[in-house]
Amino acid sequence: MVTHADDPDRPVTIGEQLKRAGIPRRDFLKFCTQLMIAAPVGLALTDKLWAGEVAQEISGMQRPSVIWLHFQDCTGCTETLLRTSRPGVDDLIFNIISLDYHETLMPGSGKQAEQALRSAVENNSGRYFLVVEGSIPTKEEGIYMKLAGRPATEMLEQLGSRAKAVIAIGSCASWGGVPSAGDNPTGAVGVADLLRGVPIVNLPGCPPNPYNLIGTVLEVLRTGNPPELDSDLRPKFAYDRVIHIQCPRRAHFDSGRFAQAFGDDGHRHGWCLYKLGCKGPDTHAGCSVRMFNETPDVWPIGIGAPCVGCTEKGIAFNIPIFEQATVHNITPPDTYPSVSLSQGRPANLATGAAGVIVGAAVGAAWAAAQKLKSSEESAAEKLIPSPPSDIPPEFPADDKSKGQGTGA
Amino acid sequence: MNVTRRDLLKIGTLGGAGVAVGGAIGSSAQEEVPTPPRNAVGMLYDSTKCIGCKSCVVACADANGLQPDTRVDSLHQAPNDLNSFTKNIIKLYKPKYGDGATFAFVKRQCMHCVDPFCVAACPFHALEKDKVTGVVSWTPDKCIGCRYCQLACPYQIPKFDWDSFNAKIVKCEFCKERLAAGKEPACTYVCPPKAVIFGRRDLLLREAHRRIQEHPDKYFENRVYGEREAGGTQVLYLSAVNFDLLGLPHLSSTEHPSNWLRWEERVLKFFALPVGIYVGMVTFLKQNFREHEAEMDEEHKKTGLMPQL
Amino acid sequence: MNSHTQSDLTVVRWQRGVPVFGVPIVNKNFLFLASIAIAGSALVIYREVAGLGAATGLSDGFPWGIWKTFNVMTLTALGSGSFPIGIAAWIFRKRRLHAVMRVTLLISFLVYFTGLLAIAVDVSRPWNVYNLLSVYRWNTISPMWEVLWCMPLYCLFPLFLENTPPVLEQWWYFFPPGRGLVVWLVPIIRKTYPYVVALAYTLPILHQSALGALMLLTGNQVFPLWQTPMLPLLYVWAAAFIGVATTICSVLLCCLTWKRPIDQSIMDELVQLMSWLIFPWLALRLLDIAVRGRFTLMFTGGWLSVIFWLEMLSIFVPAFYLRRQKYRHHPYLLFRNCLLIVAGGMLYRFSPTTFAYRPWRVGIVAYYTPTVIEIIISLSFICTCICLFLIAVKRLPILPAPLQQWYESESYYRNFYPYIQMSGYGKDQHRPSYAD
Repeated sequence: MVTHADDPDRPVTIGEQLKRAGIPRRDFLKFCTQLMIAAPVGLALTDKLWAGEVAQEISGMQRPSVIWLHFQDCTGCTETLLRTSRPGVDDLIFNIISLDYHETLMPGSGKQAEQALRSAVENNSGRYFLVVEGSIPTKEEGIYMKLAGRPATEMLEQLGSRAKAVIAIGSCASWGGVPSAGDNPTGAVGVADLLRGVPIVNLPGCPPNPYNLIGTVLEVLRTGNPPELDSDLRPKFAYDRVIHIQCPRRAHFDSGRFAQAFGDDGHRHGWCLYKLGCKGPDTHAGCSVRMFNETPDVWPIGIGAPCVGCTEKGIAFNIPIFEQATVHNITPPDTYPSVSLSQGRPANLATGAAGVIVGAAVGAAWAAAQKLKSSEESAAEKLIPSPPSDIPPEFPADDKSKGQGTGA
Repeated sequence: MNVTRRDLLKIGTLGGAGVAVGGAIGSSAQEEVPTPPRNAVGMLYDSTKCIGCKSCVVACADANGLQPDTRVDSLHQAPNDLNSFTKNIIKLYKPKYGDGATFAFVKRQCMHCVDPFCVAACPFHALEKDKVTGVVSWTPDKCIGCRYCQLACPYQIPKFDWDSFNAKIVKCEFCKERLAAGKEPACTYVCPPKAVIFGRRDLLLREAHRRIQEHPDKYFENRVYGEREAGGTQVLYLSAVNFDLLGLPHLSSTEHPSNWLRWEERVLKFFALPVGIYVGMVTFLKQNFREHEAEMDEEHKKTGLMPQL
Repeated sequence: MNSHTQSDLTVVRWQRGVPVFGVPIVNKNFLFLASIAIAGSALVIYREVAGLGAATGLSDGFPWGIWKTFNVMTLTALGSGSFPIGIAAWIFRKRRLHAVMRVTLLISFLVYFTGLLAIAVDVSRPWNVYNLLSVYRWNTISPMWEVLWCMPLYCLFPLFLENTPPVLEQWWYFFPPGRGLVVWLVPIIRKTYPYVVALAYTLPILHQSALGALMLLTGNQVFPLWQTPMLPLLYVWAAAFIGVATTICSVLLCCLTWKRPIDQSIMDELVQLMSWLIFPWLALRLLDIAVRGRFTLMFTGGWLSVIFWLEMLSIFVPAFYLRRQKYRHHPYLLFRNCLLIVAGGMLYRFSPTTFAYRPWRVGIVAYYTPTVIEIIISLSFICTCICLFLIAVKRLPILPAPLQQWYESESYYRNFYPYIQMSGYGKDQHRPSYAD
């Protein structure tokens, strides 16, 4: 924590630092507006009516100390941080946060760098934020990633246990990322798989939106607690929705307009990329709203490349890019059933069969009737009864005079 | 023929039975006009406000635990009519070119009639009308799957699960669990423009008539569909286009089960007529049977053959 | 009644029911029918397993298929001969008709039994049939409820009991150890006979009219040429004359097939009974249509008018011809005319459920064609009925014949059962005690 020169116990607030650095208030307000747009839902800090309120809150916060560790990474998450303009990374690290250790950005190296790390940890023990970029290899006692001779597992344990909060930035730090693909030869895992007892916030993405990081840090500063997290420790303000819900091409999905192959008409018209394997329906991230590089429509789907699901464990670097995703929240399409429709199906075979049977029945009845006709000629002989031979004589033969039968 | 005392007795018995039967029939002679329960709930759907967003379709499937009907393309919930997956649907009426009419959406679900055909039809009260709210609901334990309710309903609402062994009758039940918890049905809850609203039927009727008064000639024939159709329904419709075009059948106010079955009800009141017929027949039969038996015995004595009953 | 003189020895009198002896049960025709029946049973298993949607052409627009509408609503009319003939014989004292009572009772029982099987197969949740016994769940206004209790009760109680005398009789002759049971049973039957028989005439009136009321509830979904508040009455009346016509046809056919002589006077009686039923029925139907103001529909209803006229003419024209003796006394003409009456009646009972049932509402057109499976199952019920009839008629004394036939049967049976005695029970000789 940075303190006043004249009063070592009084930490410097961000507002004071901004004033000291001569940052115009308008620029600071622009930054706050940007934050409000970047985190539209769920972040209490930005849930205000206008940027001035956000500015006021942030001004009163203390400049936090941040230690940034690189493990099995590609430095992409750092690069994404460098791509912010409001605030620029210089504003960020000089005025908002105090970046006390960052291997890419800091000028020192070697023993100087190790000294900076040691002093940062000691001076701010229990108060600094540990940002972890890259996965941690666990196979063979972690020899696949060593920093100054010490394995990453050891570093994470030592530095993480004394941090106020650990932010795992990027898919690699969140759940293993690229190094964990396939056979996972190095046993790469995310921070949350190793560290216990410290609040952890995962910011998956390859790379994630840098405003996710800024929003998280400011929220922790303001309340002392991380923002509301889901079951995968991802902040809900950035990761509670799938891309599909707010995708600009959703209307095409709902209307059934799909690009069937790269470069075909549909693709050129900017139709939905679901059939090309877009993992948008299955991927929690905010790219469909915030895009990349603060530039509208500069994001994978916007340029015609289906989303690969880089934030999701199990999807990114796992399921083939061109395999179709599962749509979880099935919604009605853009079409309507008509008021008039037909039900049931006319079946020709059965109608024919029914006709044949009715015809056969009629024919059989007719044939029977014909037989009756021919039998009446031979009926006369059968009609004359003759008395039976073995009835005792006292019982008369059939009594014809009665005119009605004895049989009931 | 000579009229014997026996014949007089027979005529007397039958006459008495006839009087009893006539009394039974006469006692139920008045025409029945169905009235809804006092606290009958209802829905008022105004087709002119509906934007066809289908939130109600999704909310209904959600609230009732129905899986979406994806049989069309396995991607979208796209039923083309009410069916065993769908208790509520939005349909579109598109006028033919030159018709002059405008397009209109219509929300179809069970009408919860005041005198329901399905309730009259079901042999074991599997479909019954709640005495307090008037909601018509289905109980699986009582249903034998005869599908008579499907035949009887003039709106063709009860849908059947044709592909399953444990088949169900599926239709809107007004989200009765939500009603019991004091909430309104899911569809009325989510409707963004409040095209369909929930409330007591009498109050909704009042609201509907108020809308008609405020905008004369906006609504078709300045009337509410369901106020009197087939004795009245608890789901009411307002529309700018002809109700026929929306698929709502033309039913007169006297076309309801109490009317159709009134003679059957009268004739079978207390089962008086069948019992009367039975008693009459037994009287005749006993007499004739004795004579028949006497004849059979005579024949047996003459011919030596056992009588055949 | 007694219009023939004693010297006219060519007159046949049916006096007893005699089994059709000397004819094997299993022959080509029987095997053909039995194979259809067995195929049907196998398909019933398929229907239970695969569900109604897979086995039938039913849909939500047309929920009732030929099982309910044909096998139950139409064919049970064919089997309703017992109650008009019975009422004529017992209550109106047409004693001569007693000769055909056994045949018509057998036909009734078998037709109703297979009709009940059809209901059992058609109903989709049959495990809930126990609700028939829970009184507080009865919906007494529903015609379906009426049918569901009345038909099984009728078939399994009065009709069944009325069919036991031939069985007991054969038992007596062919199974002497069973004579004790027969002797014990027959007085009970005799004492309760009037009550059972009266029930056997009340119940058909109830459920045949309920079958009509089934379509009554659908209101204006049935074309106005058929839909009428009189529908239950017309249905039960139609059942009566169709049943009589069926009896005439089947007795003629049986006599033809097994070369039995025909008792013309009884045929005359039956035709007279039938005419008494048909002409008022036709008049009532036409009057009803006129009173409801639908007269013009008879000509302007398109193909439904054609069906209407087919029904009416098919019933009227033969009945008209049969008033003349020339047509009645000629077996071929009698058979053909009665067959036409049966066909017309069946068409009448079938039309409101299928042809004249228009569930389309403002543009929704519902189709229904029975699938081949449905047709085979339906036929199998009919074939079961016929097979059982054939077995019964050949083993039990049911088909009426003159006395001569009885003695011939006795001689025939003596070849197999030398001890048998089927005649000659005089005053002093041993005779069964139930003749007292």
